[in-house]
Amino acid sequence: MKIITRFSKILALTLYLIFALIPLYWIIITSLKGPKEIYTFPIKYLPTSISLESYKHLFKFTNFAIYFRNSLIVSLSASFGALLITMFGGYAVSRYNFRFKKYMLLALFFTQMVPTFMVMVPLYTIFSKVGMVNKLTTLAILYTNMMIPFSAIMAKGFFDRIPISLEEAALIDGCSRLQALFKIVIPLTLPGLSAIFSFSFVNTWNELFLAVMFMNSDVKMTIPVALNSFISKAGIGWDLMSAGLVIALLPTMVVFAFAQRYIVAGLTRGAVKG
Amino acid sequence: MKNKNSKIFWIMIIPTFIPVILLTYIPILKGFIIAFQNYNLFNLSNVHFIGFKNFRAVFSDTNFNFLRILLNTFLWVAISLFFQFVLGFGLALLLKKPFKGRGIYSGLVFYPWALSGFAIGLVWSWMFNGQFGMINDILKRVGLIHQNIGFLSDPKYALISVMITNIWYGIPFFAIMLLAALQSVPIELYEAAEIDGAGYLRKLFNITIPYIKPTIINTTLLRAIWIMNFPEIIYAMTSGGPANSTNILATQMINKIYNFYDYGQGSAIGLVIMAILLTYAIIYLKVTSLKELEL
Amino acid sequence: MKKLVIVLVSIFLLVSVVSFSAKVTLNFIEVLTSPGRTALLKKIISDFEALHPNIRINLISPPYEQADQKATLMLNTNQPLDIVEVRDYTVKQFVNNKKLLNLESYLASWPGSKTLLPIAWQAARTVNNTAYMVPQEFYIKALFYRTDVLKKLGVNYVPKTMTELFELCKEITDPSKNQYGFSFRGKAWEFKFSDLISTSFLDDIDINNIYKKTDGKPYFNDPRAIQGLKLYIRFFKETAPKDAINWGFNEQVNAFVSGTAPFLIQDPDTVGLVDKMLGRDKYMVAPIPVGPSGKAYLDYGFAGLSIPSYSKHKKEAWEFIKYISSPSVNAYFCKNYGPLPVHSVTYKTNPYFSTGVYTAWAYMMEHPEKYVFAKYLLSSPKWPGWPQIHQADMQSLLLGKVSIEKVVNKWAKYWQ
Repeated sequence: MKIITRFSKILALTLYLIFALIPLYWIIITSLKGPKEIYTFPIKYLPTSISLESYKHLFKFTNFAIYFRNSLIVSLSASFGALLITMFGGYAVSRYNFRFKKYMLLALFFTQMVPTFMVMVPLYTIFSKVGMVNKLTTLAILYTNMMIPFSAIMAKGFFDRIPISLEEAALIDGCSRLQALFKIVIPLTLPGLSAIFSFSFVNTWNELFLAVMFMNSDVKMTIPVALNSFISKAGIGWDLMSAGLVIALLPTMVVFAFAQRYIVAGLTRGAVKG
Repeated sequence: MKNKNSKIFWIMIIPTFIPVILLTYIPILKGFIIAFQNYNLFNLSNVHFIGFKNFRAVFSDTNFNFLRILLNTFLWVAISLFFQFVLGFGLALLLKKPFKGRGIYSGLVFYPWALSGFAIGLVWSWMFNGQFGMINDILKRVGLIHQNIGFLSDPKYALISVMITNIWYGIPFFAIMLLAALQSVPIELYEAAEIDGAGYLRKLFNITIPYIKPTIINTTLLRAIWIMNFPEIIYAMTSGGPANSTNILATQMINKIYNFYDYGQGSAIGLVIMAILLTYAIIYLKVTSLKELEL
Repeated sequence: MKKLVIVLVSIFLLVSVVSFSAKVTLNFIEVLTSPGRTALLKKIISDFEALHPNIRINLISPPYEQADQKATLMLNTNQPLDIVEVRDYTVKQFVNNKKLLNLESYLASWPGSKTLLPIAWQAARTVNNTAYMVPQEFYIKALFYRTDVLKKLGVNYVPKTMTELFELCKEITDPSKNQYGFSFRGKAWEFKFSDLISTSFLDDIDINNIYKKTDGKPYFNDPRAIQGLKLYIRFFKETAPKDAINWGFNEQVNAFVSGTAPFLIQDPDTVGLVDKMLGRDKYMVAPIPVGPSGKAYLDYGFAGLSIPSYSKHKKEAWEFIKYISSPSVNAYFCKNYGPLPVHSVTYKTNPYFSTGVYTAWAYMMEHPEKYVFAKYLLSSPKWPGWPQIHQADMQSLLLGKVSIEKVVNKWAKYWQ
């Protein structure tokens, strides 16, 4: 009986793995095939020779290193920004009772239902009037705003699970409210907060439409825009596209590896309500 | 806790709401107005209010059957969500107990989460290609099929194919969120149940699921909203075709804005999306008797 | 007094020197973006900057799929732009919103305008019969064929009529060997292909509006046109794989390059792409086969450059447009990117555009009795969205979900 359970568990894990990996495998071998071999038919599942030509082209003919840096700047500042802002906001909503609390939460929640395309033109008009187009700062602001509602809702949820009694004890000991927040509540919710951070990072790292509309110069492009520009009237340049996708995946994997320690290794051990 | 330090409270809460009001609510208001205007980029000198005409035009569009689009949207959301959740939950359960190499394994199954929607659409549409795609090629080599299947060109398969792609993309989200929640279930509860002689399924339904119910409700609710507002995959794979068979509200909205330059009708579709989602959220929260969101 | 005059004069001189030597930065947005084309434009820009040290050009290259939207948004919010690439599809819209400068007086004073092709003048004056742009490139369709594949199949002639092309494609089609005939277009601007075949069955198309006959009635439900549309459907059903209903440009070219379909109807900018993927020894280009009417109605796609009406550097912007539109730079641009150049002199003096694969286009332009250029009604308010309407209808038609009669009557009504 135990062997069967074990076997079916391994089988299930293998199936999940294969399903998840097929597209990744396809992207990676395409990026290693070199521009000439990509479209050969019948399909080759193992490249006859490994060629790094696509990667060389990517860095030689486009400013990919600059796009990478831009994306990193924008995504990191937006994710940290949203986290910092909603740490306080989420805490306040969680800990204080006030009249409009329910509506405030609903107002945050409602933003998730708004299609990006509906707000794009009004947003562009606002920012262009004050001359804030084509600035990485603008993109960072927009992305921070994009991630605030979800982060705030999540953060509130995490803070709700920390028993108030812990802080009250600290307050009695003479801690200020802020001290209590930083010394007691935040360490306990670190796993949750890092989950919020990595979620924001992934979302902003991949954002395309706002970046296309708001950034003009080549040196201000982000990675999704660069990847999208490999699609032209003459179709998709899969050599550059596949190499770019592989590179674009790296930072999100790093962020994920960092966040995973907290998420998988056990969320909020100890004094947690659940 | 009482409102003793209301000053601190406001200082803490204002930074969260100022950007949301300025950069989300004010633009929505503008979008709301546009939905009732004749607002076509083709001729901006002729912008004026036209009442509900945009909505009527969208509902009775003879070129893009609205009922078909609604049905597609429903299937797209419901089926994608169901399988994303079930498969994601399954994966979370499999990963709950530590095993050797779990960290690397979860990295390898979770990575789809880190890709962008449009990139996923492009990669899968190449794989699904009816002539040069690897899926047809593999199925043929294994001998399962003899004639290529038009995964994206045959209306019978097109919607299923884009949903498979979406499911593939969404599994990690549920797996990660539910795994995090599963870690918080106190071991003592299981120990007590085991003493009572409960089996695996009974523990699952009597302890695990009730315990993580808030997470389940909130993730499924949010995910449903996101899937409905997620046109990238379909747009990259079929752009709503063939013959309208994969067109959903979100792609039709892009279609109106990008191709018809009609921001009026596009915003009208946007309002329809928001109205449907709001109704859904209210009903969902009532039925699941969850008063407040918490994740 | 004398001192004052000297001071004033020297101040005046200083100011004029400063303002003369002050660098002007022009913002230039392209819309037909591709990595190779952007690099080419950058090369031309740096050559221009070397000749004009006081002008700097900042090239904005949004991704192709979002470029028209972005250009529209920037123009409508009066973003600092001085040169804008305008396409056949967008020119009317920009003029409607009063965003483009009338270039008639500029063109009149420019010697280069003397050698512009007649269709270049037509393209420039698409809206209100006023020149709002200087065309840079033309896209006219021709028949690409795989010499190597056809030789292997024992075919030793190139079809001259649509019916011949169909018969030949049908003959070589053998699905069991994955061999098909025609690189079919089922989505994304497929009307350019179906219209080409349908209209070749008529000889009385209105050249100012390809969707109407000279009698003013829509062409779609003319019995001859229905025969043409039926042929297009037969191309799909009998000479192309089922998947072709979902084929856009990319898939078409893939089918051609892989040899799956040795016949492809495409624009000249495909030459560069096919050269890179296949090599020029494996294919050739022939004139478009004519229909039973003995004619073929060709549409010409184009793109050009304009100056936004609100630009602060119109003079400098025109300097650049003059430079890039000159016969030699235009020929250089087209040779490296693929489309047809806009000056008649280029075809006479530059052998590249009158030999090899380009012979086909030269032939078509020299035989107006067979090849008639006809225009789409790009300035009609019914134009935006028409490609999507046509695509949905065409796909239903190819799937057999609606009858031909119903569809052609619907289209006729739409364009009445």
